[in-house]
Amino acid sequence: MFERTKNLKLSVIKQMELRASKFPDVISLAQGVPSFDTPECIKRRVELALRDGVVAKYSLSPGLPELRELIEVKLAEENMFYDFEKEILVTAGSIEGITATILAITNPGDEIIIPEPTYTSYREVITLAGCVPVFVSLNEEKGWTLELEKYEAAITPKTKAIFYCNPNNPTGTVYSKEQLLELAKLAEKHNLYLISDEVYKDFLLEEDRRIFSLAELPELRKRVIRLFSFSKSYAMTGWRIGYLHSDESVVKEILKVHDSLVTCAPVISQYAAMGALEMADKDVAYFNRQYLKRRDLICARLDKLKNIFSYVKPTSSYYVFPKIIKDNMKFDSYDCPDSLSWGFALYLLEKAQVAVVPGVAFGPNGEGHVRFSFGRSEKDINRAMDRIEKLFKFT
Amino acid sequence: MKPFFKKILQYYLKYITKLVLAIHKPVIIAVAGSANKTFTRDEIRKVLEKRGSNARANLKSFNTEIGLPLAILNLPSGYNEYRNWLPAIKGALAALFETDFPKFLVLELGVSKKGDMKYLLSVISPEVSVITGITQRYIESFSGMDDLVGEYKILAKGTKRSGLVAVNGDNSRSGEVAKSSQAEILFYGKSEKCQAKILEIERGSNGEVAEISVGGKIHREELGRFGEHHIYARAAAILVDKHIQSV
Repeated sequence: MFERTKNLKLSVIKQMELRASKFPDVISLAQGVPSFDTPECIKRRVELALRDGVVAKYSLSPGLPELRELIEVKLAEENMFYDFEKEILVTAGSIEGITATILAITNPGDEIIIPEPTYTSYREVITLAGCVPVFVSLNEEKGWTLELEKYEAAITPKTKAIFYCNPNNPTGTVYSKEQLLELAKLAEKHNLYLISDEVYKDFLLEEDRRIFSLAELPELRKRVIRLFSFSKSYAMTGWRIGYLHSDESVVKEILKVHDSLVTCAPVISQYAAMGALEMADKDVAYFNRQYLKRRDLICARLDKLKNIFSYVKPTSSYYVFPKIIKDNMKFDSYDCPDSLSWGFALYLLEKAQVAVVPGVAFGPNGEGHVRFSFGRSEKDINRAMDRIEKLFKFT
Repeated sequence: MKPFFKKILQYYLKYITKLVLAIHKPVIIAVAGSANKTFTRDEIRKVLEKRGSNARANLKSFNTEIGLPLAILNLPSGYNEYRNWLPAIKGALAALFETDFPKFLVLELGVSKKGDMKYLLSVISPEVSVITGITQRYIESFSGMDDLVGEYKILAKGTKRSGLVAVNGDNSRSGEVAKSSQAEILFYGKSEKCQAKILEIERGSNGEVAEISVGGKIHREELGRFGEHHIYARAAAILVDKHIQSV
């Protein structure tokens, strides 16, 4: 019984949220949810669609053509050229796109390499598909960078893809163009797919930066499957809408799985996505400015806890992933796996009523760290950090 | 935005725009259809700019009763914020005195309900119209396909007699639309009746490569984009370019 699900785990982030919900005065910096509401222009677009009576029926399985056309235009602005009719697929959030992709490109027993620490749900989706996640650690000392020789060593005849998140969750760091090009060379040499999850690509906390994507290179279009979600950029986590794109030969296979899983992405959310692409650029810029302020705030607060944490300053997304450097902490009394990061997260929850995510959730190399989300308001960040400061003042 | 304010804004922009067009007298190229408007618009603008002509096209998809005047006047939208409309309101007046107003306007026209085209043609009078194809997209606000097709017939009819109506010849309702016009009618696409006939399409490493035959001359076009719709857009642009050169 339950052979397929027996090795799956409820995401550690959700487990922390469940535990945190028992503390009435908790401040959660655990879930990666923007504090903002969906922009008004997007809501108005949805109201119009509701009034016009166009949301009640299925759309075509790949999505509304007018939305896909807008996506093609948006991608072209970012130097990526894909055919909206055959190469762009609108998905129910990026996780559905990831699931459909992995089910389409793999056979049970295949291996997928994941640079880690990274987003927790990748492991579960790969396991669900009957494949094996192979973790390769990022180099924290060098700013959470990829070390190519480790990937070469991890590749076996069963390896099917390298699956990375850029900008990376939970580290908030961006892979350089040079590193990605090296990864692409490796993928070409071993005939691997590259799955690039770029849901945080709009949040760049440094001036004049642009994220390079391997999907920009025409010679890699049959190898790269790029995913995007509207959840983070447009504060639309509840709408469950995203898209993926790749060469026609790849997308037509993913489409078959997508059709089996969801028929089509929620049509009301597809209209919301149209509103986002048509009108919400200013809102994205505003969110970006706010996250920059919050990044600086949380880093300044972490700097005051230098005896507890060390960290790599994030340059994107809304996460910081500090290392726990305080010695002699024992968390034996907590009902949790034997892990420093789990114990530390539960200690913060119980003693300070601040929820964070244990680093081990993001892969073995995340152990010894915790993830703070600064997607929350400045007020919440200050209150949470006040409590943590107070806790460690007396311990 | 309150409907009352929206109406005032709509008519303010409309009449300023008409005045601006009367002063500057640009050549207007209208692009309409259920799909592929944006790429066709961009191809036409590129062709004109390649010839050194100053051309302006819609920002984003500003193609409705308020969007179209904004596109012509090159102004931003204030969306739903009253104070954000102030730059557009002031800028509209400034456009009257613009010294380098473009010679060509390539304007996408958006139609989502009956009567939209008639209104848009009360603002502009196109020399050239391109109809990119008619599908059931946006059909919801119409009583049926005939009603929707009727909007494009209004555009064909409203195009200047001395002008051109270029129609996607592979669309089953295109012939019907073409009949409504007194301007020259030319078709583009793969079918035999097309004057800009797409002969060969192959996928190159950097995008589609196509051969398009126009008046006995074969144009080999490297698109730098993927998808057949870009070839249709290029074929339409070739017809528009030819017409512009001939007048």
